[in-house]
Amino acid sequence: MLVYALVAGLLFGLYFSLVGIGLNLVFGVMRIVNLAHGDFLMLGAFIAVGVSALAGFDPLFAVPLAFVVFVLVGLVLYYLLVPRLQGSVDPEMLSIILFFGLSQVIEALTTIAFGTSERSIDSGELGKILAGLRVHVFGGDADGPVELLGQSFPTSWVISAAVSVVAILLVYVYLYRTRLGTLTRAVMSRREEAFATGINVDRVSAVAFGIGLGLAAIAGVFAPFMFGSVTPAFGEDATVTSFAIVVLGSLGNPLGTALGGVVYGISYMVVQTYLSSWADLLPYVLLILILLLRPSGLLGRRVRVA
Amino acid sequence: MIRKIAMALVAGLMLATPALAADPPAEIKIGTLYASSGRFASISMPVHSALKIWVDQKNAEGGVYVKAFDKKIPIKLVAYDDQSNTATASTLYNQLITQDKVDLLVADSGSVLTAPAVAIARDHKMFLFDQTGTGASFFSKDNPYIALMADPVSTIWPKPVADFLTQDGPKLGIKKIALLYSTNEFTGTQANAVRKFIKEANAPVEIVYDQGVPTETSNYTVIINNIRAKQPDAVIHLGYAPNDIAFLRNVNEVGAKFKWLFCIYPGLETELLEKNVGVKGMQHVFTYVPPSELNYPVNFGMKMPEFRALWNKTFPDGKVEFGFNAVAGYTTALVIEKTLSVATSLDQMELRRAVFSLSGQLKTLDGTFALDETGGQIGELTPLGQLEPDGKGGLKFVAVYPHDVATGKPVYPRP
Amino acid sequence: MPSALRHLLFIVAPLLAVFAILPSVYENHLMLFNFVVFLILAQGVNVIYGFTGYLPFGYVGFFGGGAYGFAVMVMHLHASAPVAVVVAGLAGVALGLLLSPLLRLSGAYFAIANLAAALAVLHFVANPALETITRGPYGVSLTATFNPNAAYAAALVVLALTMGAVVFLKNSRFGLALQSVREDPVSAAMAGVSVVRMRVIAWLASALIAGLAGGVYAWYVSVFFPDNVFSGTFSIFAIVFALFGGVATIVGPIVGVLLLYGVYNLIGFTTPQYFQLIYGLLIMGLVLFLPAGLVSLATRRGWHVP
Repeated sequence: MLVYALVAGLLFGLYFSLVGIGLNLVFGVMRIVNLAHGDFLMLGAFIAVGVSALAGFDPLFAVPLAFVVFVLVGLVLYYLLVPRLQGSVDPEMLSIILFFGLSQVIEALTTIAFGTSERSIDSGELGKILAGLRVHVFGGDADGPVELLGQSFPTSWVISAAVSVVAILLVYVYLYRTRLGTLTRAVMSRREEAFATGINVDRVSAVAFGIGLGLAAIAGVFAPFMFGSVTPAFGEDATVTSFAIVVLGSLGNPLGTALGGVVYGISYMVVQTYLSSWADLLPYVLLILILLLRPSGLLGRRVRVA
Repeated sequence: MIRKIAMALVAGLMLATPALAADPPAEIKIGTLYASSGRFASISMPVHSALKIWVDQKNAEGGVYVKAFDKKIPIKLVAYDDQSNTATASTLYNQLITQDKVDLLVADSGSVLTAPAVAIARDHKMFLFDQTGTGASFFSKDNPYIALMADPVSTIWPKPVADFLTQDGPKLGIKKIALLYSTNEFTGTQANAVRKFIKEANAPVEIVYDQGVPTETSNYTVIINNIRAKQPDAVIHLGYAPNDIAFLRNVNEVGAKFKWLFCIYPGLETELLEKNVGVKGMQHVFTYVPPSELNYPVNFGMKMPEFRALWNKTFPDGKVEFGFNAVAGYTTALVIEKTLSVATSLDQMELRRAVFSLSGQLKTLDGTFALDETGGQIGELTPLGQLEPDGKGGLKFVAVYPHDVATGKPVYPRP
Repeated sequence: MPSALRHLLFIVAPLLAVFAILPSVYENHLMLFNFVVFLILAQGVNVIYGFTGYLPFGYVGFFGGGAYGFAVMVMHLHASAPVAVVVAGLAGVALGLLLSPLLRLSGAYFAIANLAAALAVLHFVANPALETITRGPYGVSLTATFNPNAAYAAALVVLALTMGAVVFLKNSRFGLALQSVREDPVSAAMAGVSVVRMRVIAWLASALIAGLAGGVYAWYVSVFFPDNVFSGTFSIFAIVFALFGGVATIVGPIVGVLLLYGVYNLIGFTTPQYFQLIYGLLIMGLVLFLPAGLVSLATRRGWHVP
């Protein structure tokens, strides 16, 4: 039972790293608390439902589509909202409220357009283009579970976890191996100095914002498989969970999120195994403990004041 | 002889009352709430949409017959959106009573959004038409201002499930039962009831796994693995629709083979579950057989096929699924219509008397309407059934318990 | 006349008088009661956010804690309602003490930790393992103390106390010192201000206020589930109302509640489908165009706003 919980937790946790990473990128670069993060996940899920149900394609094709669409949406939203927000007295606090408003708008528009019912995608659809390959590597039959360490896990979890790993690696490559990424890290660590050295902070931030929303939308593509189904109201819970993960890793350090996600996933599954009814309490207690004992997160710098 | 005189007197009184009543109002105001967004939207919208269908239908006929004024009067539906927020709902219930002065008060769907209405209705001495708020705490002998219209109270709803397991189960070889439930008023109370019925039956079955999980749980893979470890012969899962969707999907995804598996929503919201779980994942699952499959003899209102056709015509875009909740909303409407046709005034206690007088008499597409003394619904019970392939790529219901309504034999173990 | 007396006489007294008279004129008492509750909560947010800069994003934790404090007193100890309300306030203070280490965090970290704390309290109270104490997720029904008129009167008393606290902060050296801590904690500490102690006092006062509000709310509604009294909308509304009017003033939060909650009730009644959409847009507009609240319209012209 413990081994099963650990492996399930690892798969679940890798996916949750992807859920949180976009949120953290946005906070790290802009000091903006994107309370509408979960709503972009929800929109990504609706894109996947559209790609699968309407066009009949493998939902994996929704990944690039969702990413491109939401990078563009992010760029537009950035220039509409953020420069104005940054001009105010307390942008970090006000961003919480601004993006809460945005999340309300998104939920309302989605409800008006699609109704309130649960929506999902048949779990056999995900990765059907890869089914042949999978049977070759793992054995078993094309629409059955994946066998790992002699136990069976949902195929969709393995695919979600794999895509998450790839996405996180790409974020790493972007941040550490590209010029724009280097500038992004400069803005993250010393925003004022970046201004002074002539970095186009707005452009760097806008791209980071777009990528942040794009990553959220990619995570959303897998939400119907990881959470069973989604509704327009799904965003709220997803946002709160994302915060737990991000803070666990360390707020402002996107790569710490990968660790935060795995810690979250494993501890969640272990508690669910042995103390099911308390499982939902755990992330919050963990979050508070981490904040108090190591407020910078597992991998962060010091943030305490006075 | 005495009885005849008495009946004549009563009849005379009943004829006389309308003449004594005040001038008929231009419209009958029915006040209700619905949730267009948030957590309860997916159960609230079908119920509310069904109520609206009925209002439009009656108004097209010139209104609903009101005995108190002996004429047809148009209905005005005063409906506000509480957005699944109970604080808002409380204010709006009060608004309906004190500002709009509605004649009839109808609660929003589900126990959580019904809860504020119970106290408010009682305080204002308004009779509450409780649509689907099945919470056991709502019904007590000292509160006459409530009756449950369309779902059985949670405390007796799962009786057919427990009875099947204790009566027929041992004969099939069922000895070990696993019980998994979401910890909320609706399913938590049903779990308590299942436990109680099984214990009282003194049958050779035992509960080997008994676990509550938070209602927000969306991931059951690990829990399913734990249940498997106990090797139960039968698994009962009690949760809301999203819980059932996630649970059934996970059961299939990890390839768990439970010999006997019960879930609530495959029966109640079959279309929604089919869309989200797929036909394959629901084969041979035990569930409640919804009224739409039973074609109850009806003595009032539309029969199931007519209602279904009207629903599809009204909501062609499929944004609101047809299912148990749609039937529940229409059932409430029928109880209201019948109540107005027998109540001799619009006084709230008279409305209550009229509603209770329908108990055991009114047969709608939802079954026989029956109330206990506290206003809890004890009719409209849903038999236990099993979803079987219909040979055309879809599913059909086979009722298996109680035996007098059974349409087939259970398939055990599930292949 | 000292300004404190002037504030009490010309702002607090008329407000209380209006809400004392309104129930005999307007019949939807619960709406009036909700106005009073949100006035209390918005001023409670004002105490902590307006004067110290800590955004209590999980403010509802104290409110819900108070409501359950009230419920436990009535259910198990058969306490009278006024006694139970006092205990509700103390429950808020106790929670505040428990969470006071969170004050070591700054900015968004504090806001998120506070949100997590509120959710932790919710999942704790709602846990079925505590069914014998809190009735767990099954909700409480307090028929023994049901008395909406008395509860309304109690809410007015709590409002009076809360307003008194804000008037004190606005007119005392303590309040001034708090604000100086908000602007520049380092110089304040050097000037001999006990930064930590003062923050904790403001934090506990704000927790007490929410606890009392939760108590009178439980008294009034009498039937509720954990989801009801821990609903995140209480936090969000209280914060948005306070900000909309303008924090660190006496009248700002009052104006915010009266206008915004008024609009909320108005559009909720007339255009339900677009309710959430309009509300979201309104909140976004507020942050972008009036980040310092409505009172800034006056202060920009150089008028003094109490």
